Amino acid sequence: MKIKAALSRIRKDWVIYLMLLPAIAYFVIFNIVPLIGMKLAFQDYRIIGDNQWVGLKHFKVLFSSPAFFDVLKNTIIISTMKMIFIFPIPIILSLMINEVRVGPFRKYVQSVVYLPHFLSWVVIAGIWISFLNPADGGINVIRNFFQMPSVDFITSKEHIRWVLVFSEMWRTAGWDSILYLAAIMKISPSLYEAARIDGASSVQQMRYITLPELTGTIVTVFILNLGFFMNAGFDQVFNLINDSVISVIDILDTYVYRIGILNGQYAYATAASLFKGVIGVVLILGTHFISKKISGKGVW
Amino acid sequence: MKKLSLSSVIIYSILFLLSISVLIPILNILAMSLSDPLKVHELKGLDILPKGFSLINYEILLSNPLILRSLFNTIFITVAGTALNLFLTAMAAYVLARTDFVGKKLVMLLLIVIMVFEPGMIPEYLLVKDLGLLDTYASLILYKAINVYYLFILMRFFGDVPESIIEAARIDGAGHFRIFTRIMLPLSKPALATLGLFYGVYHWNEYFRATIYLTDPNKWPLQVVLRQFVVERDNTAMLGQLAGGSYEQIKNLDFASLQSGTIMISIVPLLILYPLILKYYAKGALEGGVKD
Repeated sequence: MKIKAALSRIRKDWVIYLMLLPAIAYFVIFNIVPLIGMKLAFQDYRIIGDNQWVGLKHFKVLFSSPAFFDVLKNTIIISTMKMIFIFPIPIILSLMINEVRVGPFRKYVQSVVYLPHFLSWVVIAGIWISFLNPADGGINVIRNFFQMPSVDFITSKEHIRWVLVFSEMWRTAGWDSILYLAAIMKISPSLYEAARIDGASSVQQMRYITLPELTGTIVTVFILNLGFFMNAGFDQVFNLINDSVISVIDILDTYVYRIGILNGQYAYATAASLFKGVIGVVLILGTHFISKKISGKGVW
Repeated sequence: MKKLSLSSVIIYSILFLLSISVLIPILNILAMSLSDPLKVHELKGLDILPKGFSLINYEILLSNPLILRSLFNTIFITVAGTALNLFLTAMAAYVLARTDFVGKKLVMLLLIVIMVFEPGMIPEYLLVKDLGLLDTYASLILYKAINVYYLFILMRFFGDVPESIIEAARIDGAGHFRIFTRIMLPLSKPALATLGLFYGVYHWNEYFRATIYLTDPNKWPLQVVLRQFVVERDNTAMLGQLAGGSYEQIKNLDFASLQSGTIMISIVPLLILYPLILKYYAKGALEGGVKD
């Protein structure tokens, strides 16, 4: 009876299904099919005919390959550096912007610091390669002014990871501060009112009202960022990598690109990227549950 | 008038320095592209005004068939892609936000799965290959035709439209499709503008999929040409196209300046739209808490 009722509803609502059909078809073809396609990690790729199941063969090769551990190490180092040096910046930035009275200067600062978010990494790489140019790039002009020798940052193994950190900061810090700024806006003005009456300075207000009120947002953003930990910024590295520094900034995704797209070892590359994906999901679920246990705050 | 305290002087100065550090590298590129090729060697990395003034770089670039062609490709892919994105996203958002039907829970589950698990680049590449979409514009237009995050933003917006308006239309005999096109879409112009900018910026900046899906240079979007020229330092395609240029043009070539010009051509449309982007995009991001 229940099935019959459902069927008659489905027949009555045919327009709804027709309107939903393009979206569903799209999701199945472009999202679900490649997701299932990850099974290639356990197969050998055949151009003609069905792929053959080979179990964990590719993972065994992967985990016994020194090249894989090198890129894994680079990925972890670069992501950790970014976590430590970039993550706090948007928070600090939003606190500073919040101290600026609403007006032209505030509008100017916000418009400028959000801008790099809209530039592609191709463009940013072009701008930074020029700005870090050893001959007369901006940074080296400043170094020379202080009597320091010029450095070719883009091809220097010592510096390139810092180039990644600072160029990423340049691109994202402004835009990411929007999230925190929005959270600050939602804090009730009466809290500050009460603090002022009690004689709290603006630094004390920041320390005892704004920061504690921001904790929830900070935790959420941190956990979401952890989900991208194994990415380490593919688009950025892809556009800044060169032969001189490949040994220190080759990351999992650039490795997958090289062995998969360039060398055509599809199955092996898929195994590497599946490994990456699983770590990502474990990281995000793990921190979510730990954070929920400790502070009662998770992502969802 | 409140007296400026020391702490606010420090904060204002730091913010000013930060804004300068964002602007100088970009303005330096602009200055380089506008400098006289004979004087551009005098331009140092912190200069923001051109040395001399010349539009020769832009004349060369905009008469280069490869650049023109790629600019056209980018515009086509961006417009067609964004239109498709908006139509598919809006129609799905309407159904999911405003109707109740058998299987809705299943669809929502599908969306969550898609959001949490991302397929790797290889299965995606193989899919495009198996569909016969390699070397077609369609491969770029169809990719991410519906972004689940944006779908959720629009669902929230559609959900806020008062039921009474829809009820009135329904009494007048309007079906779901009519309600969607005649009521929902016109009422949601600001939300659609926001999403249009989200999607538009994505398409305009896309280069990676174009790099791996398109081997025919005639189909390349501007970002791929830019990447080849500026990041890979590969001048061959540019040089080949310059063979027909006048002696005057070739004599005055400065590749760094040409690269700067190419960068500027690819970001000028974004700069023109930037006030709009700030108005809609930043607002959307504030309300939706989007982070991509």
